[in-house]
Amino acid sequence: MTAENGLYPVLNTSLRRHAPFWLSILAGLALWEIAGRSTSAAFMVPFSETLVRLWQLIASGEFIPELLDSAKLFITGFAIALAVGAPLGLLLARVRVLRVGVEPYIMILYATPMVALIPFILSLMGFGFAPKVLVVFLFAVFPVLYNTVEGARSIKPELIEVAKSYRSGEWALWRDVMLPYTLPYIMTGVRQAIGRALVGMVAAEFFLSSTGLGQLISGASQNFDTAGVFASILVIGLIGVGLMRLGQAIENRFARWRQ
Amino acid sequence: MAETALSVPAAAAPNAAPLGGRLFGTLVPRLVAGLVILLGWELVVRGFAPAYVAKPSTVLMAIPRVIVDPAFLTATGQTLAAVAEGLAIALAAGTIIGLLIGRSSGFDRAVRHYINGFYAMPMIIVLPLFSLWFGYSGAARIATVVFAAIFSIILNVADGARSVPREYLEVARAFRAGGRSVLTEIVLPSSMPYLLAGFRLAAGRALIGAVVAEFFISIGGLGYFILYNSRIYRHSEAFVGVLLLAAFGVGFEVLVQWTTRRFMPWYRRDEKAN
Repeated sequence: MTAENGLYPVLNTSLRRHAPFWLSILAGLALWEIAGRSTSAAFMVPFSETLVRLWQLIASGEFIPELLDSAKLFITGFAIALAVGAPLGLLLARVRVLRVGVEPYIMILYATPMVALIPFILSLMGFGFAPKVLVVFLFAVFPVLYNTVEGARSIKPELIEVAKSYRSGEWALWRDVMLPYTLPYIMTGVRQAIGRALVGMVAAEFFLSSTGLGQLISGASQNFDTAGVFASILVIGLIGVGLMRLGQAIENRFARWRQ
Repeated sequence: MAETALSVPAAAAPNAAPLGGRLFGTLVPRLVAGLVILLGWELVVRGFAPAYVAKPSTVLMAIPRVIVDPAFLTATGQTLAAVAEGLAIALAAGTIIGLLIGRSSGFDRAVRHYINGFYAMPMIIVLPLFSLWFGYSGAARIATVVFAAIFSIILNVADGARSVPREYLEVARAFRAGGRSVLTEIVLPSSMPYLLAGFRLAAGRALIGAVVAEFFISIGGLGYFILYNSRIYRHSEAFVGVLLLAAFGVGFEVLVQWTTRRFMPWYRRDEKAN
């Protein structure tokens, strides 16, 4: 190590920067291993056994199809939420009367726990793919809508006036003034929506037709397969962290535009 | 709806127009929009959906019946009690852990990734595990509420404890204040606005946690009331439960905003968390 100090300063600083992270992860895993070994197997499973079980699930071909199934649900619902939320938000910001009229209702829906609507969706739409997409959509659309409206209404009136005085058409105004100005706010909405859509995805898979990762985990729980539960939680947790990072990165990338 | 009335003055304030202008600028569009939404809902359901589906007229007629229904009142009480208990635990434990993280960089480094990781997890995936651990009981619901609520409190309190002005701490040290009194008399009060912001988030998540837990483990409460009534095709009755949940969600928001304005008028940081 001491020899490398002079030779590889980059390696050394990156090692020093990341050492606390890996130490903390290793300590956590060790703690998990010890806790798992010293309690009953029905209660908690050590890290090593969780990995073994996860490998079994992958090798037996149960895991990957469920993962893809969940991904399809997530992406479909999220894409629709974005495709509806952002243009609608811009429209609301552009037409003042509409915005003032609808704003309080959007606020209320934003604060309402959407899970409460799942029983209605279940009994109206049954067990197909569409009701689950609707759940993900409902979870994800309001953060996008809310943040888009917030962003678009903070556009300086001067910008729109200048565009108008240069005889900019409505379409050009949207494309060249409103959308670029609002994009950072939309990305804040996207970050929030990613987290919510993930909750919606799991909720849909728990309470509507059981598919995907949600089915994997609730099935394991019903069979008292604690190792399977831990393996699924580990995977979904890592996906959650990864998506959160992704959302943060997207938001930061666009945040530079915002003054 | 009562919620609408609450949000009118707050949003109307910025354009301090004369009364007539405000009336026609905001109130009329809101009423019209509300009526259009309700009317559209009513007509669509009447035209295309089976009779049991909730529509504004039947929900309205169900309200007086439901709010005196003992089953509904018990369910509301059960859910609120679980949310309150879980929030209290999350608040106490979360504040302590948050203060530790904010004031000790070693502790911060050790647990930061775990807190962030658990916060990023969709909270409802712990339900199958909690139902294994605590059985299909109220304890599993409280555990879910705590899990749903605690991480936003920890993260916000840690944020607050980190941003205590250095001068305060230096003055305290100059007057030879002990470690504990610095923590309780300077760091905690100074991170209070952050704590409230975290609490606001936590309360919303706690409510969701309680409802989802009731769906999953079928124990009595508002979530189960909604689930049960919608299963026996009494959608209008079930929807009254949804309205109450929405009112709670908005109510928490208003309460925390009011508290911040009333007790911490110097503080303006409405949109940090989330």
